[in-house]
Amino acid sequence: MMVEGSTRNLRDLLERVRNWALANSPWLVHYNSGSCNGCDIEILATLTPRYDLERLGIKLQGSPRHADVLVCTGPVTRQSRDRLRRIYEQMPEPKFVVAVGTCSISGGVFRGCYNILGGIDEAIPVDAYIPGCPPRPEAIINGVALLLKQLQPDRVDEIDNLMVEMGIDPHAIPQEEDLTDEYADPIGIR
Amino acid sequence: MAIVRDLTYLMFFPAGLGLIAAGLFYQWIDRKLLARFQNRLGPRWFQPFADALKLLGKEEIQPHGTSAFLFAALPILALAGVLTAGLAVPLFGLPPVFSFPGDLVVSLYLLSLLMLCTGLAGAQTRGRFSLTGALRAFTQVFAYEAPFILALLSPSIALMIAGEAGSWQIWELAQSAANRPWFALTLPFTFIVAIIGLMGKLELPPFDAPEAETEIVAGALTEYSGRGLALFNLARAAELVIGLMLITALYLGGVGDGLLVPIIFTAKSLGLLVIVVMLQTVLARLRIDQTVSLWWKLGSVLVIAQWLIILIIRVLNLGG
Repeated sequence: MMVEGSTRNLRDLLERVRNWALANSPWLVHYNSGSCNGCDIEILATLTPRYDLERLGIKLQGSPRHADVLVCTGPVTRQSRDRLRRIYEQMPEPKFVVAVGTCSISGGVFRGCYNILGGIDEAIPVDAYIPGCPPRPEAIINGVALLLKQLQPDRVDEIDNLMVEMGIDPHAIPQEEDLTDEYADPIGIR
Repeated sequence: MAIVRDLTYLMFFPAGLGLIAAGLFYQWIDRKLLARFQNRLGPRWFQPFADALKLLGKEEIQPHGTSAFLFAALPILALAGVLTAGLAVPLFGLPPVFSFPGDLVVSLYLLSLLMLCTGLAGAQTRGRFSLTGALRAFTQVFAYEAPFILALLSPSIALMIAGEAGSWQIWELAQSAANRPWFALTLPFTFIVAIIGLMGKLELPPFDAPEAETEIVAGALTEYSGRGLALFNLARAAELVIGLMLITALYLGGVGDGLLVPIIFTAKSLGLLVIVVMLQTVLARLRIDQTVSLWWKLGSVLVIAQWLIILIIRVLNLGG
């Protein structure tokens, strides 16, 4: 009985260490399954030094074999369904999928087109949805943070603090003025 | 008790686990400084540890068309080679775990095992990115290896040319270096070649053509996941520490006597790391043919020029 109990404890401990490591070093791989490139540009903006996601341990990887999180943009076209599935299957377990942008959730403006299957979840299982057309970097970080909080329920406060440091309110409901870019004003674009 | 002491030295500190932990810590300093130079905040202190643990806990996929034995054995061989090379080096200014005449040459060859294993790992998978990466890795080995080894043998060769007793034993060399002016000052050319050779060995920018993310995904290790990738990363982390410590022992004043020696020695190796990171930040990636011509046209010539200078000084002294 004692042996059984201690092996269970050990397994629990290993599981916790594994979860901690996973939540602290999510490596991304990015795939565009038919997007208009708007969301891709926002993802690249998220990875720039202004937000510096390396603080959360997030790194963009080239190879799906090295990645933990598949970041998908755009609706799934019939052409790209097999590629998307192959990339998903090349990733080692445990793996997560984040759908970025309205199109990746429902198909967006392309919904109903003859060559569109719909959202990412028509092809592969999705763990987190990030709405927006395109979502701002803060929204993308919020979505990834929600995924991390799911993995580590007891570290929610720490992740929230990090987001506040980045200038993001973790509980905010987006308002109209949040959705416009303050840096666009001086050069006259909205 | 001697067995317990030896095992502790081998497994925990200064070699073995202590070396790996130090490697991950040095990797964090590397990434943090790089981030600060790029005006970012950079990763948290435990980032490399979390990365290594996560990779160790992940599924390992063995792609079709590879030999199962080689696929599993190459990462282990790479890590084992690097850890063995660490035994003869005075890590953190402490006496080496296992020292014997000629260990300088043995260590240098064991340190190249990582690059060879990386190349073989890429060459035996069928992915085109891995193959290109492997080809570049092997090309780079042939480019930097000769000048790097010559540069690290230089302190000893310089002593012999100058008519004093040289040695091929790292510990003896490090102790005799403590009683002279720094070799970095008396042999500046080979010192530069040694630092830049270390960057080539670790595939750091500007010598990161073998794993150029923008061209060939992740180079030779594209198909590796989970445990294999983790072991290769740990090997590279340990090699960073061993390389820095080796150059510190040979070129930056060696290992003297006294209680403060380990602290000063480690501080010197960290200073060397700062130089390496600054070079990484400033320089852009070289094409693989540029790397080769840099090493053969400039690197080896610098080493030989340094030897000639010593020889000429000695001949003039004898003549005058």
